[in-house]
Amino acid sequence: MTVTRAWLALLLLSAASTGLAASGAHGAVFVVLVLSLAGAKAHVILSRYLGLSAAPPIRAGFDLALGVVLVLFAVLAIAA
Amino acid sequence: MTDQATDRPSALDQLPGELMMWVLIVSELLVFGAGLAAFLAVRITDPAGFAEAQGHLHRAGAGVNTIVLVTSGWLAALAVQAAEAGRPGRLRALVAGAIALGAVFLVLKGAEYADLAHAGITFETHAFFTFSYLLTGFHAAHVMAGMILLAVVAVPASPRAVETGAAFWHMVDLVWVLLFPVVYLL
Repeated sequence: MTVTRAWLALLLLSAASTGLAASGAHGAVFVVLVLSLAGAKAHVILSRYLGLSAAPPIRAGFDLALGVVLVLFAVLAIAA
Repeated sequence: MTDQATDRPSALDQLPGELMMWVLIVSELLVFGAGLAAFLAVRITDPAGFAEAQGHLHRAGAGVNTIVLVTSGWLAALAVQAAEAGRPGRLRALVAGAIALGAVFLVLKGAEYADLAHAGITFETHAFFTFSYLLTGFHAAHVMAGMILLAVVAVPASPRAVETGAAFWHMVDLVWVLLFPVVYLL
């Protein structure tokens, strides 16, 4: 994936987040979907903008840590 | 230990750019991650108040700002490629575009702060605003720092310097894509 394709992917993911929010959806599914889209955007930025696609083990570590953080966010958001 | 073993590259050797910039990126992610987790934890105590308070924010403006920042990050990534290709003119034009979009981000953020101030909303109005001002204000300070850093690295235009400046800018981008859904959407 080139940086231009990464940018296009980020635009699509951002549009999906905005569309989801504009739909008026809420609840646990909404929380999981919105945070999953955020995780996907973070993955693209780390991989292509920051160049971690050249260091797969380190990218996997970042993905794991981000996944744990996003699960924590989801649990806290759903608990509210 | 054999010479072969000591010569084997470590995982850290695979990191693109400066190691210290990665230390900074991880540090910033930890700080913002802790802040966002605290925000969500406090929200459990008053979900209705947080939802009402969130309605005062510029959700559409923040959505536009996401597009602005990821586009700015794209220009910064292209600037790194231009630096590596030895094209300083293209590099400086791309960095100027990235900085200009950073300014657009700050203008939209400033408009939101101005509207909140006009409505009499301060840090102390509600816990939601204490957190949102702190988190988005701290992030906006990083945007300003990133704009200055990008301008500084564009002068020598060396690939290493531009890569370091762009990495800081991408970190600002990365923090925003995590902050935006938590503060504006959930």
